[in-house]
Amino acid sequence: MSEPSTEPKRGHFAEKKGEVILREHEFDGIQEYDQKLPNWWLFTFYGAIVWFVVYWFLYYQAHHFRSDHDRIVAEMTEIHQKKNQELEATLASLTDDVLAKTWAKDPAIVAAGEATYAANCVACHGADLSAVMVAGEMKIPLPGRALNDGVWEYGGKPMDIFKLINQGSPVDATGLNGAKMQAWGQMLSPKQVAEVTAYIIAQNPKEFP
Amino acid sequence: MNLTKTNTTITYDDTAVRQFMIASIIWGIVGMLVGVIIATQLSWWQMNGKFLETITFGLFQGEGLSYLTFGRLRPLHTNAVIFAFVGNMMFAGVYYSTQRLCKARMASDKLSRLHFWGWQTIIVAAAITLPAGLTRGKEYAELIWPINIAVALIWVVFAINFFLTIAKRNEPSLYVALWFYIATIITIAMLYIVNHLSIPTSWIHSYPIFGGLQDGLVQWWYGHNAVAFFLTTPILGIMYYFLPKAANRPVYSYRLSIIHFWSLVFIYIWAGPHHLLNTDLPRWLQMLGMLFSLMLWAPSWGGMLNGLLTLRGAWAKLRTDPVIKFFVAGITFYGMSTFEGPLLSIRAVNAISHYTDWTIGHVHSGALGWNGFMAAGLFYWLAPRLWKTKLWSTALANMHFWIGLVGILIYVAAMWTAGISQALMLNELAPSGTTLKYEFIDTLKSIHVEYFLRSFGGLLYLIGFILCGVNVLMTARSGVATNDSVEVAVVPREKKDTMRWGESLVNDPLAYIFLGIILVCLWFFLPAHANLGALAAAVLLAIKAVRSFQTKKEHWVNWHERLVDNYLPFTLLVFVSVAIGGALQIIPSLVVNRDKNIEGRLQELYTPLELAGRDIYVSEGCYNCHSQAIRTLKPDVMRYGRNGIADDYSHLGESLYDHPYQWGSKRTGPDLAREGGAIVKDTKLMRSGRRDNVWHFNHFLNPRETSKGSNMPNYPWLFESKTDFKALPKKIAVQQKIGVPWPAMSKDEIEQSAREQAMEIADSLVKGGVYLAAKPDLSGDALRNYLSEQQVVALIAYMQKLGAYREVKPEGGKQPSPLDPDSYRAAAMPIDTPAAQIKAH
Repeated sequence: MSEPSTEPKRGHFAEKKGEVILREHEFDGIQEYDQKLPNWWLFTFYGAIVWFVVYWFLYYQAHHFRSDHDRIVAEMTEIHQKKNQELEATLASLTDDVLAKTWAKDPAIVAAGEATYAANCVACHGADLSAVMVAGEMKIPLPGRALNDGVWEYGGKPMDIFKLINQGSPVDATGLNGAKMQAWGQMLSPKQVAEVTAYIIAQNPKEFP
Repeated sequence: MNLTKTNTTITYDDTAVRQFMIASIIWGIVGMLVGVIIATQLSWWQMNGKFLETITFGLFQGEGLSYLTFGRLRPLHTNAVIFAFVGNMMFAGVYYSTQRLCKARMASDKLSRLHFWGWQTIIVAAAITLPAGLTRGKEYAELIWPINIAVALIWVVFAINFFLTIAKRNEPSLYVALWFYIATIITIAMLYIVNHLSIPTSWIHSYPIFGGLQDGLVQWWYGHNAVAFFLTTPILGIMYYFLPKAANRPVYSYRLSIIHFWSLVFIYIWAGPHHLLNTDLPRWLQMLGMLFSLMLWAPSWGGMLNGLLTLRGAWAKLRTDPVIKFFVAGITFYGMSTFEGPLLSIRAVNAISHYTDWTIGHVHSGALGWNGFMAAGLFYWLAPRLWKTKLWSTALANMHFWIGLVGILIYVAAMWTAGISQALMLNELAPSGTTLKYEFIDTLKSIHVEYFLRSFGGLLYLIGFILCGVNVLMTARSGVATNDSVEVAVVPREKKDTMRWGESLVNDPLAYIFLGIILVCLWFFLPAHANLGALAAAVLLAIKAVRSFQTKKEHWVNWHERLVDNYLPFTLLVFVSVAIGGALQIIPSLVVNRDKNIEGRLQELYTPLELAGRDIYVSEGCYNCHSQAIRTLKPDVMRYGRNGIADDYSHLGESLYDHPYQWGSKRTGPDLAREGGAIVKDTKLMRSGRRDNVWHFNHFLNPRETSKGSNMPNYPWLFESKTDFKALPKKIAVQQKIGVPWPAMSKDEIEQSAREQAMEIADSLVKGGVYLAAKPDLSGDALRNYLSEQQVVALIAYMQKLGAYREVKPEGGKQPSPLDPDSYRAAAMPIDTPAAQIKAH
């Protein structure tokens, strides 16, 4: 085994003089300079390494950041509390009469309810609330119950309808062929639920004159 | 150097280079064409074949072809572009440059031919199996197991051919391009084999041995580093050879080559978990994924700098030489996407970008800009030399450049806009602050224009690449295929590779590096206080190492100079540096923490029918558009979580038994983690979740019936293809082997259970009044019996099971456990977690 040469190479002289070194070796005609690493590049690299240590330290030693679990639970708890307050406020201001006589008669509210209904409810209850899809000659039943036939499985008062939409089918209900409605209160605000209720009521003028 | 020189004339094997280059161009066009087709499918779902009705004036009738759906073609697109286009391009570049850098012909012509034809056969097999729905369901690792074995074997053929060539080289020192090739060969072999470990259930189906979190970790260790070691390192090697050749300038900085090579190969491997950020993935893995990605920025840019700065003094060529144009633009895109990558790996940015088209834009700036343009530059440089003539048309090459560049920019800008605007809409709260403002479908509709622009940009790029094909073809026709001959000085065996193992392994630089890595790992994994000791020791060691480097610089430099003269020690050190990261991230989750990583929720086992349905879900490639992972983020939990449950993100235990895991990486449709529900009253096995069976039935027939504006294709064949009940016993037996605790069931019991559940679901569908236009005369019991055998019922069974778990609360909260930094932290923190369950009103 040959000892690595310690004789000065051309590069060493060039380095001392601050010149750019062109390495002696050629690979298939390719030569290489041996420029110093750009300082900004080095600092980017060092900076990222230092940040690694600092960030890890802040999380694991200084407990500076919350864990994801704690953070999401805190955030969602706040939202749920707010939502419950909202719901209580809505419930306090709503009665069967208010829903049927004021909300359902307000064209703006009914229109807002119709928009929400169109986005979320049509797939199961149909655009005309009949829970039937018309495909050419065929009438195909949809998964939901009809909302225009005067039958209200879980109570026909306006507030019953509101609660049903908000909380979904009762936990112990069998559902329609096993189908149960999800709790729309997860996706919709109490106001939106009330608007949808108003829309459904407005579509049933015989029952809610 | 003082060598005894005997001269000899060698002829390079340029036939292999020509073969690989032509294959790359052909597969490139195919892969990009498939990309354009699936891009248009996101705007018009009818592009799955339904459009044939219109253009054949009704001669063809149908709702589309199962072979052409997005879910099946997207894997074909990614596999074709990565393994067929870039793969063949890489082989062309490697075969050409390795021979010249080694001053030796490839070791074996037979192996070269076997490599070439084997690889093309694999590609053809992939092109047949993927559209047929034969898949392993893991991204960029979809090919079925017999093809996996073929890939591994052909890769070994390539490796043997390559290393034998290196061994007989007539150039003692290894040029930097060869370092990158060595890293590519070694690392891809390691990644590919581990991520493809599976147990077959038949000739065309297997289950990966990892499940849930482990499968996710292994998958992205592989997936991320396929990008690193298949799409990056070989291309960097190609850059280091062909760019100085084309520019006729020396490489900018040798020491930058050294530093950025070693830091790149060491750091890249650790970055995989950044594909799983903000999920329930243990925090320490997320931290490693994010922080190593940030540290990767500089090493990546080292490659870009060495490329661009090599052009100093040769910039004038940018105006005249299309090769330089493509290389410069390619390297610039490399710089852009390797800046974007670390940015997207920051957890806060990832919260926006993940699951959106921003990621798609990111990979395409890499794939189209870096890989595609480097390929084009390579081909324009090679073609005249391989056929001893001039490039047929420089003007056409310039046109390719500009069409391609405009195409990339349109594509990437469209994806940025689409991704960011959709994410902002998805995250926007309604004025009350308690609900979300937009439905998922509204956000999808809002990016329609961007989806159209993306197809247009992609089409431009494809046209440009076809021009490249034409140009290369005409160049080839105008010349004669020639194999270069050169006279070289033979370097006898005793004059190269003289470094002994002891010398290569026992020395100052390595001692400092390994001790440093050990101390840093102790800092990660030791309990409180001890870890700080390790950190302090690591810092002291770093200081001492810097001192030692300053005083004994000559020694350190000479060691590395010797190392690159000796290919085996070099290769060993490359392997060690790429093995460390994956081992430290995956093994703790594999062996130590498996049971602890369920976070309080344990997945309910599938029933046989649900398993059959899951296999259909995987086979149709649903995971290409739907995730099954609710992240620990407010908008995610609000949108997909259940009413009133504060911690309703997807817990690790919920997918513990999922082989393969299906968390997904893109949401073209909504997340499905909470679609399922409880067993319906008065039934034995049938479940009903957020939506009921009839809804799913209608949805699979025509998604637009239930979700207006959806771009999901119709799946009529699910209603006409039978579920494979007979395959279930074998599948379940394999699942038992890989650790899924199925109860003991006989073959008959399995089939009976599946049929019973299918009957229950079919019954509920018939009672619900479903109508199947394809079978108008069936009704009542006949319809029920028919449906119970069809795939759609099995798939519905799976949908209704999604997210089912039971609570398993460990006593006394999280206990400190070895190799789990999070558990030490949790133990040190006061327990002040608010109750997870907030009572719904």
